[in-house]
Amino acid sequence: MKKLLALSLVLLLAIPFVAMAESAEPIKIGIFEPLTGSKAAGGEMEYRGIQVAHALVPEVLGRPIELVPVDNKSDDVEAATAASRLVEAEKVDIVIGSWGSSLCIAAGPSFEKAQTPAIGTSCTNPQVTLGNEYYFRVCYLDDFQGTLLANYAKTNLGAKTAAIICDISNVYAIGLRNYFLEAFGEENIVAEAYFNTGDQEFSAQITAVMDKNPDVIFMPSDFTEPGLIMKQARDLGYADILFLGGDTWETEAIIDIGGAAVEACRFTTFFDADAEPSEESAVFLAKYEEMFGGKPKSSVTALGYDAYMAAVKAIEAAGTTDGPAVQAALCALTFDGVTGRIAFDGNGDAIKNKAIIKTVEEGAFKYIDTVVIE
Amino acid sequence: MAEKKFTGVAARMTPRRGRDLTLSCAAIAAILLFTHFAMQGFILDAYLVRILNMCATYAILGLSMNLVNGFTGLFSLGQAGFMAVGAYVTTILFLSPEAKGALFYLKPMEPFLQAIQLPFWLSLLVAGLVSALAAFLIGFPCLRLRGDYLAIATLGFSEIIRVLFTNMQTVTNGAVGLKGIPPVVNLWWSFGIMALVIVFIRRLMRTSYGRAFKAIRDDEVAAESMGISLFKHKMMSFVLSGFIAGLGGGLIASIVGSINPLQFRFILSYDILMIVVLGGMGSVSGTVVAAFLITAAKEWLRWLDNGFSLGLFRVPAIAGMRMVVFSVLLMLVILFYRQGLSGGKEFSWQALIDFLGKPARRDLKREEGGKKT
Repeated sequence: MKKLLALSLVLLLAIPFVAMAESAEPIKIGIFEPLTGSKAAGGEMEYRGIQVAHALVPEVLGRPIELVPVDNKSDDVEAATAASRLVEAEKVDIVIGSWGSSLCIAAGPSFEKAQTPAIGTSCTNPQVTLGNEYYFRVCYLDDFQGTLLANYAKTNLGAKTAAIICDISNVYAIGLRNYFLEAFGEENIVAEAYFNTGDQEFSAQITAVMDKNPDVIFMPSDFTEPGLIMKQARDLGYADILFLGGDTWETEAIIDIGGAAVEACRFTTFFDADAEPSEESAVFLAKYEEMFGGKPKSSVTALGYDAYMAAVKAIEAAGTTDGPAVQAALCALTFDGVTGRIAFDGNGDAIKNKAIIKTVEEGAFKYIDTVVIE
Repeated sequence: MAEKKFTGVAARMTPRRGRDLTLSCAAIAAILLFTHFAMQGFILDAYLVRILNMCATYAILGLSMNLVNGFTGLFSLGQAGFMAVGAYVTTILFLSPEAKGALFYLKPMEPFLQAIQLPFWLSLLVAGLVSALAAFLIGFPCLRLRGDYLAIATLGFSEIIRVLFTNMQTVTNGAVGLKGIPPVVNLWWSFGIMALVIVFIRRLMRTSYGRAFKAIRDDEVAAESMGISLFKHKMMSFVLSGFIAGLGGGLIASIVGSINPLQFRFILSYDILMIVVLGGMGSVSGTVVAAFLITAAKEWLRWLDNGFSLGLFRVPAIAGMRMVVFSVLLMLVILFYRQGLSGGKEFSWQALIDFLGKPARRDLKREEGGKKT
């Protein structure tokens, strides 16, 4: 009986997947995203953007486009295997993704070896594209973001001094801290404190930093800890200090955690629905509303959309799906995406000219300013 | 006259043993031939080779955990930490000085470490030794604990190792991690090391040390009263397990090509624990089979994620559906097969033949039975 149970279980698993018949041979776009695991929320939001773009432009070169999602499980080892699966087993023509730089870094060698171009969405770590001709990305890098935040603090906010509270177990945060430090001037940084991802109690860091009386506090990190820090700072009686952060803060969890205290923040992000609408973003928002209802919750959705458009435009320009040809086309590509004008530099990184500054007001993200750098 | 003077293998040669030996040789030859042709790129593409490499590496890691958990009866969850040590030592020793220079862009690497470059086999060996040393140091406080307390302590130490690596900026490149590790690990490496580990553990279990491990697992008090030094044998098992886990970590570093501290969170130890539990505590062949099944099934079951049709109704695409299979499997195993899929036994040709068809067994039984009478 047990043997039978075991056998029938194995057989059940083995029910072959019935392949669907296709008319014209489709162009396959691999979606390399964390759909499960700790980064699933980010992956899901980007996948939505890609689906919106796919609904708008479902074919190129007269052939239908097929999306091939492969879950990388938010895990580096799985990511390397998933990448190999995309290029070897699924034989996709181009890849989009992923949320989370370390996943991209693990996947990079597979794409390069198979000469399959990949377009990163919100992976901001320099190492993703460094030394890999086939990895591109549509988001700006940490250096652009760090410099921009420093300039914004100086000119728009009139800050003379700043303090930094940095998550030292987070690559993204360390990168951002270094570029901010450089642009703001090391002599103007009056205090610096550190914490680790997952910490819960920050009163030591807050008091140490506030002792020096900075004009603003720059806090590069993910979203959970800054929410807690802002809340605890307010509880300690520092109600009117302004906190600055990067694009990761645009996650609703930060409001859930910090409550009213997070209204004292400013952060950069890639896209906002309320900023002066361009033609491209109007189309994107309308289609999003139709497919999922409401507005995109995060700007990474817009990046997923832009990455898809870049892929389609590059295949169109190359006139073929041949890897090296598409790679060359991507290098030469310039287009207006939802998140601003996009072109790729020698490294494969997007040259962006625009960033959005947002804050939190009455429990929702609110657009404040668009900063354009020429 | 010579008939009764056989010694060694020949003396124990019954028809059954002869058949098993032939079958084993044939199986080994088939595996070698398969590996040879796979390496030429005839049978498998790079994706399948990668999966097979991962299967073999997880088998190695499963065996290292089984040595402590299954054979010695110590509930240890520190595997991820030892893998981290192995992966980092291998990578740091194996990467070229130029590659390391380019990676350490936040702070330069210790010049002494940057200058070192060793061949892969030596890096891997040193990685194993350093992991073993780490296990030795951790073993001192931990192995005085029992049961759940030991599990918590080893889990804690493996997290400490990870946090240390996150903060040793000039040695490990901190949270940034290391990338660009050359993919030298091929099927010969992974299957070769797996074979060595299998043979080693099988042999070890037949020595007095191995028997002492099992005695400790079955009853500590009884073992101690029989004169077995508990601490010494537990430590030996723990250090050997650390060594093997270090090798596995080094292999993973080269297969994946990039490492960072977050890769080695405690959740990784649970992945390996699942292999050990499904395969059967204290069974070498069970662990190997489970490692291959689980690692391959993770990829093979991807069609579940994409939605599928069950005749009348269609199951929509839900990301993560394939992981549900493992949860169900784990529950079934714990409810119905407490000993794991192998039932705590080792692989034997006889068992396989019994399973496949009964006539063969009857013939052999009759033959052997006839001889005895």
